[in-house]
Amino acid sequence: MILFLQQIINGLSVGSIYALIALGYTMVYGIIKLINFAHGEIMMAGAYFAFLVGVHLGLPFFAVLIISMIGAAVLGVFIEFIAYKPLRKAPRISALITAIGVSFFLQNLALVIFKAEPKIMPNLIVKRPVNIGSLQIGTVTLATLALSIGFMIILDVFVKRTKPGKAMRAVSEDKDAALLMGINVNRTISITFAIGSALGAVAGVLFGVMYTQVYPTMGVMPGLKAFVAAVLGGIGLIPGAVLGGFVIGMVETITKAYLSSQWSDAIVFGLLIIVLLIKPTGILGKNEKEKV
Amino acid sequence: MLKVENIDVYYDKIHAIKDVSFNVKKGEVVTLIGANGAGKTTILKTISKLMEPSHGVILFEDQPLNKMQPHQMIYLGMAHVPEGRRVFAKMSVHENLQMGAYIRKDKAGIESDLEKVFNYFPRLKERINQPAGTLSGGEQQMLAIGRALMSKPKLMLMDEPSMGLAPILVQEIFNIIDTIKESGTTILLVEQNANQALQIADRAYVLETGKIINSGDAKELLADDTIRQAYLGG
Ligand SMILES: Nc1ncnc2c1ncn2[C@@H]1O[C@H](COP(=O)(O)OP(=O)(O)OP(=O)(O)O)[C@@H](O)[C@H]1O
Ligand SMILES: [Mg+2]
Repeated sequence: MILFLQQIINGLSVGSIYALIALGYTMVYGIIKLINFAHGEIMMAGAYFAFLVGVHLGLPFFAVLIISMIGAAVLGVFIEFIAYKPLRKAPRISALITAIGVSFFLQNLALVIFKAEPKIMPNLIVKRPVNIGSLQIGTVTLATLALSIGFMIILDVFVKRTKPGKAMRAVSEDKDAALLMGINVNRTISITFAIGSALGAVAGVLFGVMYTQVYPTMGVMPGLKAFVAAVLGGIGLIPGAVLGGFVIGMVETITKAYLSSQWSDAIVFGLLIIVLLIKPTGILGKNEKEKV
Repeated sequence: MLKVENIDVYYDKIHAIKDVSFNVKKGEVVTLIGANGAGKTTILKTISKLMEPSHGVILFEDQPLNKMQPHQMIYLGMAHVPEGRRVFAKMSVHENLQMGAYIRKDKAGIESDLEKVFNYFPRLKERINQPAGTLSGGEQQMLAIGRALMSKPKLMLMDEPSMGLAPILVQEIFNIIDTIKESGTTILLVEQNANQALQIADRAYVLETGKIINSGDAKELLADDTIRQAYLGG
């Protein structure tokens, strides 16, 4: 029983990382209908930023985290500006292929700069077990859960209550109508990339700390699974990304623990196929009909 | 207040607007009437900078608009009630109205204008927290007009506000347009419902396949036989 509870908590913690990445996918999709396949690489870049700052400046965890978030946000905005913005009126497939190209480009750039062998992420969070009742949980697991949920709450408040958050929702619904309201659509899209990328960086830093490694392809699998999570929950929907992330993290952890670690990825992707067969718009997705 | 001078507008190779000129003076209600596909929506979109003319200039309060961005138009005092309402379906009625006041910072003024809109359209107040997408077509039209009013515009561009509404609602909408006019807002109204439009307008322009073919005093056009036959059903 204790072991099972511990697995649940591990699942939530892994899931919260997927959820953070999935948020970036879903926010970008929501606002420009693009699956940003380079998002996993933003996460990787965030981890490298943390590695560099952590090793060379020896700053404490929160400072490293903030710098990494800012770095990733700038990178995300820059990518949108040079790679996606010129294609905004082009067929969607063009932007999609460009996103895949950007993804490979960033992986190879990391390979050139940092070489293939993994860098060791400094211990930004002191690793020790914490006893909660009869449960023993690692500090990293706890920090991951707490930080992810914290950022999700901040995001929720931002999108629902603040003016730029509302502008973001307006732009994702109807760009022309948003322009007529005086909303600077280009700036709103940039803000969306900045936020999505910053959340991706949080995931990258936590992932790097959790597995103590940073390497050029580290964004590929988490990126893919987070993409699955976003689609599973309902792409374009913020609660869907969070739900999808936790579901994927949980399923993966439980299958690894009790079924087979080799099959866990297959089961995760199989789950996506089943859900999409039953509900093509994802768990929280609605089949929307527009009033004319 | 608004001067449109010799504009041409294209959709790729389709020449939708051909050398169109007209003007709207302060305090007037001017209507553009014309059949489906005449180019009415295209003209309004061009004034709002959602489209660029390939030729010609548009002046708002004597300021040329060619260097302006679409999201800056509302700062000049222009509000556009687009064709098909285009309310933000997933946002509440209240949030839609807040978006209308997006550029404003005077909280007290926004609140009092919100009350004004609810006075015009009490049904919106009853549905203040409802997602706009769940409103009826008529209520969405009210919301689209209310949203535009929230910016306190000097000039309102309205694209077929009566489209798809039951006759009783059409009357209600036209009464509101009249009230908006009385409050001093200038209106450029696009309508297929030419009869109603000509009744509340001061002046009118008649558009046919991208060209202005007639213009003049609204009441005179209303009495004009050729106009009656073409647009008012005889
Ligand atoms: N997005 C577009 N791409 C290509 N052609 C277009 C587009 N939008 C409009 N047109 C064409 O431009 C012309 C004018 O269209 P517009 O929508 O301005 O007409 P309208 O007078 O508003 O008609 P309605 O009364 O049906 O709304 C039409 O011939 C139409 O087919
Ligand atoms: Mg039209």
